Amino acid sequence: MICRLMPRWALVCLLFLALPGCAHYFVNVEKPAIQPVKEYRFNPEASGGNSNSLFICLAFSGGGTRAAALSYGVLEKLKDTRITWKGVEKSLLDEVDCISSISGGSFTAAYYGLFGERIFQDYRGRFLEADVQGSLFWSLFNPWNWVRLASPYFSRIDIAAEYYDEHIFEGKSFTALAETGRRPFVMLNATNLANGERFEFTQDQFDFLMSDLTSYPVARAVAASSAFPFLLSPITLKNYPHAHFQLPKDYELGLKDYPDNRRRYYWARNRAMYMDDAALPYVHLMDGGLADNIGLRPIEAAHQRSSGFIRKLFNQGEIEKFVLIVVNGHTLDKDTMSKDESPPGVGTVAPIIATVAMEHYSVETIEAVKDLRNARRKAQKNITACQKKLDQCPGSPQLPKFPTEIDPYVIEVDFEAISDPDRRNYFLSLPTSFALEKDQVQALINVGPQLLNESPEFLAFIESLRSQ
Amino acid sequence: MEYLIVRFPRSRRVLVDDEFNGRTEDLIEIEAGRHVVSLGPPYNYTPKEQTIILKDTAELDPREVSFDLSSDA
Repeated sequence: MICRLMPRWALVCLLFLALPGCAHYFVNVEKPAIQPVKEYRFNPEASGGNSNSLFICLAFSGGGTRAAALSYGVLEKLKDTRITWKGVEKSLLDEVDCISSISGGSFTAAYYGLFGERIFQDYRGRFLEADVQGSLFWSLFNPWNWVRLASPYFSRIDIAAEYYDEHIFEGKSFTALAETGRRPFVMLNATNLANGERFEFTQDQFDFLMSDLTSYPVARAVAASSAFPFLLSPITLKNYPHAHFQLPKDYELGLKDYPDNRRRYYWARNRAMYMDDAALPYVHLMDGGLADNIGLRPIEAAHQRSSGFIRKLFNQGEIEKFVLIVVNGHTLDKDTMSKDESPPGVGTVAPIIATVAMEHYSVETIEAVKDLRNARRKAQKNITACQKKLDQCPGSPQLPKFPTEIDPYVIEVDFEAISDPDRRNYFLSLPTSFALEKDQVQALINVGPQLLNESPEFLAFIESLRSQ
Repeated sequence: MEYLIVRFPRSRRVLVDDEFNGRTEDLIEIEAGRHVVSLGPPYNYTPKEQTIILKDTAELDPREVSFDLSSDA
């Protein structure tokens, strides 16, 4: 009836005005009552030629295409490095067990997690050498997107996520990552805007939202991980009611650890806060770099916590060599405001606050992980040395031993290690964007393997494999 | 990190905070703080679990936690 009375143009206008209300971001689903067969968690059973005994984790930092290309070059180097482990010849890449990533690094991590070695055939064209930034910019001029952006439940990040989903990740969800059944276990990291804490896209984290991760698009996780402040808007997740939620023991005890272990206490508290779903029915996520721009903290947690997948393998004597490769694509922003007497305006201050915070604790986090490596080495040496002394006395007792002696390595790939100042400055000055020139991308891909080849820790690790 | 050793007359898997974290008589490396220690099956040990606060240990001076065979074992 309405259609008969109304001119056609008015009907179109009405439809046009009504549509914004329909545009809505992709909503994460509630956890089903029955646990799904496949969930996206670390699987302690190694398979497909990957052993637990040689355990390798990679951390890919943020930094747009610069960081993505640097980490891609490292993957190429690991693929080309042939090793023999336990009598089996393979590439070092075959032994990578986990990747934790931030922002630009998350594109490479997610692509490798989903498509494996296909990354070496098509990833450059699909992402590294593509003008993703330009495509996202021009999509804002699409009238259809104007309509959708008028909705309060649809924003620029949703357009970016759709682009990544269609052009890079082929519509894959975490089901695809869970179903591969092979390693590496990829942890894509974002930051919860409410408390500045890291948020990882794993089922262990989604348990705290009472949500199932498997149906969630990988592209949206990558979009959250790379939602650079001011340029992009946050990704929103729903926090479902926690009626039947059982707090894992490690968290339950951690909440009582304020006097004895402040780090564990805050770790537990920052996850447990999601249990108050009435106060926090939604979670807004932005660039993972706001919490940790090198992606090391999830690996550190897996190494420290009694429920951590690395800690459990350590204590069960499964790991003999533990290798952590930190691929840090950070840059040095040129300071121009310090030359000016007048205080900088909001337009200058805002992006600095966002990016300075990103780099603030990177070095500290790397050093904290090195301290853990050194502590383990020292503990093993002390036991061996004391036992040797004791063995000189007949009838002396056997000291308690670790289930295995672990040979740990922390390897850094960082532009700062480039000895030639001009070359170092070239890389440290590359912009953070999703559109670099092809020669810049090629230079970044080349420098990763070079930095590994010049790393004393990497060379020591390779030598240790040869001398087994 | 802190160090723990769990004693039991038989070799058994050790649970720390409900997660398998090594075996009896092996040195277990765990972060500082409050932990619940128990053993894997069969459940012929006593007590069922022990809550400890791990701190100020060293690899040469670990915290020792002992379990006994239960009388009905």
